[in-house]
Amino acid sequence: MDLYGKMAATQDVRGKAEGGDQNFDYMFKLLIIGNSSVGKTSFLFRYADDAFTSAFVSTVGIDFKVKTVYKNDKRIKLQIWDTAGQERYRTITTAYYRGAMGFILMYDITNEESFGAVQDWSTQIKTYSWDNAQVVLAGNKCDMEEERVVSVDSGRLLAEQLGFEFFETSAKDNINVKQTFERLVDLICDKMSDSMDGDPAATTGAPTAKLTDSAPPLQQPSCNC
Amino acid sequence: MGQEISFPTSNPFNDPTFLSTFKIPSRWQPTFETKSYPSPSIFATLRRARIPKPNDFIPLFGDCISVASTRTQEFLVFKDPENKFHPGSEVLTQIFLMTYITQSVSLNLINNFTCTAMTPEQRILLGADWVWALLDKPSKTPKIQIAVQVLHLHEREEAEDHTCGQETYRESMQMAQRASSNRNMHEKMVDFCTSIGKDCYALFLFFGKKNDRENIYGVLSNNFEAANGKYHRFDRTLIENFFRGSRYLHTPSGMMHAIISKRRGDPLTLMIKFS
Repeated sequence: MDLYGKMAATQDVRGKAEGGDQNFDYMFKLLIIGNSSVGKTSFLFRYADDAFTSAFVSTVGIDFKVKTVYKNDKRIKLQIWDTAGQERYRTITTAYYRGAMGFILMYDITNEESFGAVQDWSTQIKTYSWDNAQVVLAGNKCDMEEERVVSVDSGRLLAEQLGFEFFETSAKDNINVKQTFERLVDLICDKMSDSMDGDPAATTGAPTAKLTDSAPPLQQPSCNC
Repeated sequence: MGQEISFPTSNPFNDPTFLSTFKIPSRWQPTFETKSYPSPSIFATLRRARIPKPNDFIPLFGDCISVASTRTQEFLVFKDPENKFHPGSEVLTQIFLMTYITQSVSLNLINNFTCTAMTPEQRILLGADWVWALLDKPSKTPKIQIAVQVLHLHEREEAEDHTCGQETYRESMQMAQRASSNRNMHEKMVDFCTSIGKDCYALFLFFGKKNDRENIYGVLSNNFEAANGKYHRFDRTLIENFFRGSRYLHTPSGMMHAIISKRRGDPLTLMIKFS
C-alpha cells in the first residue's frame, strides 16, 4: 500500500480509536487556500451550513468545519480547514498543510492580484504538502460579472498549466460550491483507487519525510469509495 | 521599556484643506435667506479640520474595557446565599465579550480596532478566546494584535468540569484537540503569537486572582516565548508569577499607549489592572 492508502487508513483508524464519531469509512483532510478576501470562509460556510453573509471578517489564523458526504455507500468525513490568507499567518497555516489530501486554491475573479498569486500558492502546496495531494482551482465571486478582471479562459488555462481541475464559483449565489467539493473528493478517491490497484510507480513513490513521521501501523482499507 | 515612536505630524501649510479654509468658494454668492440657526462665527473657519491621530482609539478602548470590566465584576462577586448556584466561567467570558463588543459598536471603534471572537474550534487550536487588532487604515490588515485568553479562579473551573462537560465531547472539539499539538492552552496561545511576530501580544486575563478574587487583572507580553523556552512547563503558576516581580499596574489605556509607543520589534511585558 502506498502512502495514499496509508493516509486514508490512518484517518480511519484514528477516528475509531479515539472514541470519536465512528460512523464514517474515510476521513479526508481538505484545505482552502488563497489570498485574503477571495471568499474562502464564505465558500466553506455555503458548503457546510448553506449560509452566506456579505460582511467581511478576516479569518484569524485557521479554523475548520466538518461535513459528511456519501459516495458509493461509503461515508466520507471531510475535515475542511479554512486558512487565513494574510501573510502574517503564513507560518501557522502552512503547518496545517501536512497530511492534507486535497486543496481548493481560490482566487477572486474581480481581483487580478489574487489571480497572480495562484502560482505562489501552488508552490506553497508543493513545499509543505505531499506530492499526491489533489488540487482544484476555484475562481470565486463569479456572480460579480460586471467587475470581472480575470476571464474564464485565463483561469482555465492556468489550471491546465498547473495540472489542476477548474471551476468558477460563487458562494453568494451558490454556484459550483458543492460541485467543487464533490470533484475534489472524486479526485482523491480516484487517486486512492489507483494506489490500491498496486501501480508499481505509485507504490514505490517515495513519500515525503514529513508524512511518514506519523505513519501508523498499516491497515488495508477496502477502497472502493 | 521601548523607545517612543514619533508619528509624523503633517505640516498644515502642505495640507490643501488648511489653506482652503481661508478661500472664498468660487461659486460663492451673497445670500439673503434667513436661517433659523445661528451662522457659524467667522473665526470658526480658521479652525483646522480635525485629522484623526493614530492614538485616537485609545480613550474609546479604555471606555469599552471599563464598561465590560464593571459589568463582569458584578457577576464575578455574585454569591448564592445557599452556595448552590455558580455562574460558569464560560458565562463570565461571554458577559465581558458581549459588553465590550456592544460598547465598541456604539462608540464606532470597530472601524480601525476590531475584536474577533474565536470559534470553539479556534479556541482549542490557537488558545485564544478573542483577538483585538489595530488595523492599518488603507490595507485593513492588522498592524498590532492582542490575543486574549481568560483565566478563571481554580474552583470555578473545577465546578465546570462536572457541569459543562458535554461541549468538550463534541466531535469537532475532539478533532481540534487531535489536530493541535499536545501543548497546554497557555502554550498554544504563546505559540500562536510567536508565529506571527513581535507585533502580536498574548494577554492572559485573570477574572479574579487568589489574593483578590473580585478584580480583573492581566499579563501582557510579546515575549512570553522567552519564558516558554526557559521553563519546563508554561503554566498558570508561571504566568501568575509575573505579578510578583511587578511594582506597577497599568490601566488598559496605559497598556495600549505602551504598545503603540513601543519601538517595533522590541519586547514588552506589562501587568494591567482592568477593573
